[in-house]
Amino acid sequence: MLVRVEMELEDKPGQLVRVLEPVARFGGNIQSVVHLREKKTPLGRLPVTVVFEIPDREKLERLLETFRGMGIRITQVGEREWTAKTTILLLGHVVHSDLQKLIDALNTMGGVRVSDLSLAMRGPGMESAARMSLVAESSERLSQALSLVEEMASKMELLSVRVVGQ
Amino acid sequence: MRVIFVGFGNLGRGLARALLQPNNPLQRQGTEVKVVAVADDRGGVVDEKGLELGKVLETAEREGTVASLGRPGLSAVEVIRETEAEVVLELTPTNIRTGEPGLTHIREAMKLKRHVVTSNKGPLVVAFRELSELARRQGVQFRYSATVGGAIPVLTLAKRLSLGDRILAIRGVLNGTTNYILTRMEREGLPQDIVLREAQELGIAEKDPTLDLEGVDTACKLVILANATLGLDATLQDVRVLGISRITPEALKLAKEAGYTIKLVGSADSKGLSVRPSLVPLDHPLAVSGTLNAVCFELEYGREVTITGFGAGPRETSSALLSDLVEVSQNI
Repeated sequence: MLVRVEMELEDKPGQLVRVLEPVARFGGNIQSVVHLREKKTPLGRLPVTVVFEIPDREKLERLLETFRGMGIRITQVGEREWTAKTTILLLGHVVHSDLQKLIDALNTMGGVRVSDLSLAMRGPGMESAARMSLVAESSERLSQALSLVEEMASKMELLSVRVVGQ
Repeated sequence: MRVIFVGFGNLGRGLARALLQPNNPLQRQGTEVKVVAVADDRGGVVDEKGLELGKVLETAEREGTVASLGRPGLSAVEVIRETEAEVVLELTPTNIRTGEPGLTHIREAMKLKRHVVTSNKGPLVVAFRELSELARRQGVQFRYSATVGGAIPVLTLAKRLSLGDRILAIRGVLNGTTNYILTRMEREGLPQDIVLREAQELGIAEKDPTLDLEGVDTACKLVILANATLGLDATLQDVRVLGISRITPEALKLAKEAGYTIKLVGSADSKGLSVRPSLVPLDHPLAVSGTLNAVCFELEYGREVTITGFGAGPRETSSALLSDLVEVSQNI
């Protein structure tokens, strides 16, 4: 997972190195470090943003614990927003289909998530439409997810309508 | 330039009317077109000195055939074989399964070293490679702009783009009927059957619109476009085809809320050939409305080039046929 941690460091030599060392120790792979000297807090601390890839949530929790133990003030922790996004329509008897199974299958794939689902229904017994938004960690993952949606949709006798060129 | 008309329905007559116009494109560049024969499915009329085209047109419009002017029962193949001419215009109706009778007409014409201009998708969908190679071997020109995109010079543009760049993918909204239906459904929130009836009343959709709605017409155009520009040897069987029959106003509404419209898109890319309803971002150049067509070429260097215009209708087809005739005359 890609994580972004904002923290405040004391304005003393060696502080940044002190922070980066445990990230590496917990298997993290640092992608960027932003050190904003000009944005000193009223207490004289320096805000720093570190973005890194880390294997799992458990390691992240242990790392944050380590930071706190070192007296580092953590101001924000966030999973970096996934940038690969798409929309897909599913048309047919959506409400009576195994839509839940499809969403579960996507959510258990890892690296992809159903971020939105909207339904439009015409009338009892008539075909309806669903719009699903997907986010993924990479465009490869997204296209794997789309293939899965398409495969499951066709088994459920739903027509899937993808974004052109995806 | 002596020309034989094979097929004299709406398209043939439309072209004949255009040729009767003073100052038409061929006259403008100094080519005198002499129509030496016209054949339809009931007979043919031949005059090596040149037919009186106005009279032929009048008869065809009154009687539905030109047979009474010449010999009823005279076949198109006989006309092609027995009449001296430089160009055969093959304008018979499309049969996408056999390509006939157009396929036989084109083969005959090429064997006799006549240049061929056609609006008939059938022969090209069935035997693209065979006909292109036959034309090359016989040293004749083979032009079929009217089969894809009507008045829009899609094939010419593709050729130009291929000169200095590489076409990686082609995506097109290639069927005006389905695009009209989807546009109306989106704007009015009406169900497909009601919009279809409206389109039929306006003459935008045919009485039997199956080939349009099921995406087969789009698939035919895609096959021709892909073969002509990507050097493929595809036939209709190579295209995965899904039509628009399951698209509802609700689907269009959901799409619009998310910034998309739904278009029937034919695609040729690394994954192969397909025709299917697709979500197209509202600001994408393929998001054309009404009966408009659009074709987008994805290029290695030039990113994307899109061309748009009206793809079907007798006037638009006449425009394409005239362009082909002019090109043929320039290269004779």
